[in-house]
Amino acid sequence: MSEPAFRLTGVAKTYPGGISALSPTTLDIARGSFVGLVGPSGCGKSTLLRLLAGLLTPSEGEITRGSGTTDTGFVFQDATLMPWANVAANVALPLSFKRRGAEGVAETLKRVGLDGFAGAYPRELSGGMQMRVSIARAIVTNPPVLLMDEPFAALDEFTRFRLNDDLHILWQQNKWTVVFVTHSIREAVFLSQRVIVMSPRPGRVLADIAVRLPDQREPGLRSSHILADQCAEISEILRRSMDGAMAA
Amino acid sequence: MTRIVAPLVFGVLLLAAWEIGVVIGEVPSYIMPRPSEIASALWANAGDLAAALAVTLQVTVAALALAAMSGALIAIGLSQSQLAERVFFPYAIFLQVTPIVTIAPFVIIWVENIFIVLLILAWMAAIFPVISNTLLGLKSVDQNLKDLFRLYGATRWQTVRRLMIPSALPYFLGGLRIAGGLALIGTVVAEMVAGTSGTRSGLASRLVEASYRLELAVALACFALLSAAGLGLYVVLDAVSRRLLRHWHESAAAT
Repeated sequence: MSEPAFRLTGVAKTYPGGISALSPTTLDIARGSFVGLVGPSGCGKSTLLRLLAGLLTPSEGEITRGSGTTDTGFVFQDATLMPWANVAANVALPLSFKRRGAEGVAETLKRVGLDGFAGAYPRELSGGMQMRVSIARAIVTNPPVLLMDEPFAALDEFTRFRLNDDLHILWQQNKWTVVFVTHSIREAVFLSQRVIVMSPRPGRVLADIAVRLPDQREPGLRSSHILADQCAEISEILRRSMDGAMAA
Repeated sequence: MTRIVAPLVFGVLLLAAWEIGVVIGEVPSYIMPRPSEIASALWANAGDLAAALAVTLQVTVAALALAAMSGALIAIGLSQSQLAERVFFPYAIFLQVTPIVTIAPFVIIWVENIFIVLLILAWMAAIFPVISNTLLGLKSVDQNLKDLFRLYGATRWQTVRRLMIPSALPYFLGGLRIAGGLALIGTVVAEMVAGTSGTRSGLASRLVEASYRLELAVALACFALLSAAGLGLYVVLDAVSRRLLRHWHESAAAT
């Protein structure tokens, strides 16, 4: 196999004040893979994502990034848009620091279904549309790596399903390396090739599961038995670990 | 409609009660002039008072502009270093809590040009809300957006210009609205203390002068003009603020 997009060797994070957010973790994330990161709150999944982005530095261990993977798109739980700038200016933000003007903004807006909204201001848009702008901003440079921190958690289920479907198609077309944090097991299984299950206090990797679903994730898959079975499997792992933690 | 008409009706009723009260009580006009007398005093001295108002407004607007620019620059400077904020911010508070009247005599001795004296004092009165509001705004930047700027490799200056300054704009404009009133108060107090006279005297000096001569109608005409000027300043600053924030800030949303 080719060099991974990320290689973590014994990476741990302790915040000032001694709170351990992530115990030593070793894992590889393959190029072009879609990895879901699930677990209850406080399990260190956001910390892990920020470490991957380079927004945090590990207290221990080392993170190596594959060559040519420095360009990173990041999507937060909130759309995190600049309210004073219109949609086009928000999407062009990553380009502007690279002196690339507005190259590809119109095309990116089309890809995320926001054709015709370039001049709108964030407050004029619904939550789902704001999130689309946020995704457009993250992918406008066509970065090799896309990191997403519970991006659809604040949206209603219909909007979430639509965005899930669209994200999956975009990923299939572009083969970015995607790390997708969510607290929804269903969402993680539906989108990912591989699901990493984490447990809290201290945050650590519980299980690393290859998803056995067809490459094409049709919307109908949501109500299928194979999806339900894999979700049940992950729930069981989480439940057992929680029981173990209670007993300890 | 009622938002404008209702307070106006109340004001007219109040003036009418005043007029009638003075007539019935036979109060002499050197103690309490009637509103109609004040109006005619205003009319008779229109040119004179307009010139004085222009002087006062000149100082006020210049001091406000100076406070806006220097206040914003100081706030940006303080936001860039915790040490700078710790060292200098207490002095900004010092400026705020010291009554200008107590500083005025020194400034008058040290500075010869009376326009500059008034300008300095009005500036000192107006700058604090600009600094403190803008600084608050600069520090209230969305942490995730800040992370995003870092991730995309924005330089410090790019982050200041494209993230921190726009984020702080509503706070700055809020500070400016307060500063507008304070600049006028500063100018008025400075004029009264400095005792400017002659052709270059402002409206507050004219007010003091008229009250010494017991021309209370003229003094109250000055007072009315100063109030109107303060109100006008607020209306202008409010309009500017709404205009600048109309697309994105809740405070400027159409109601």
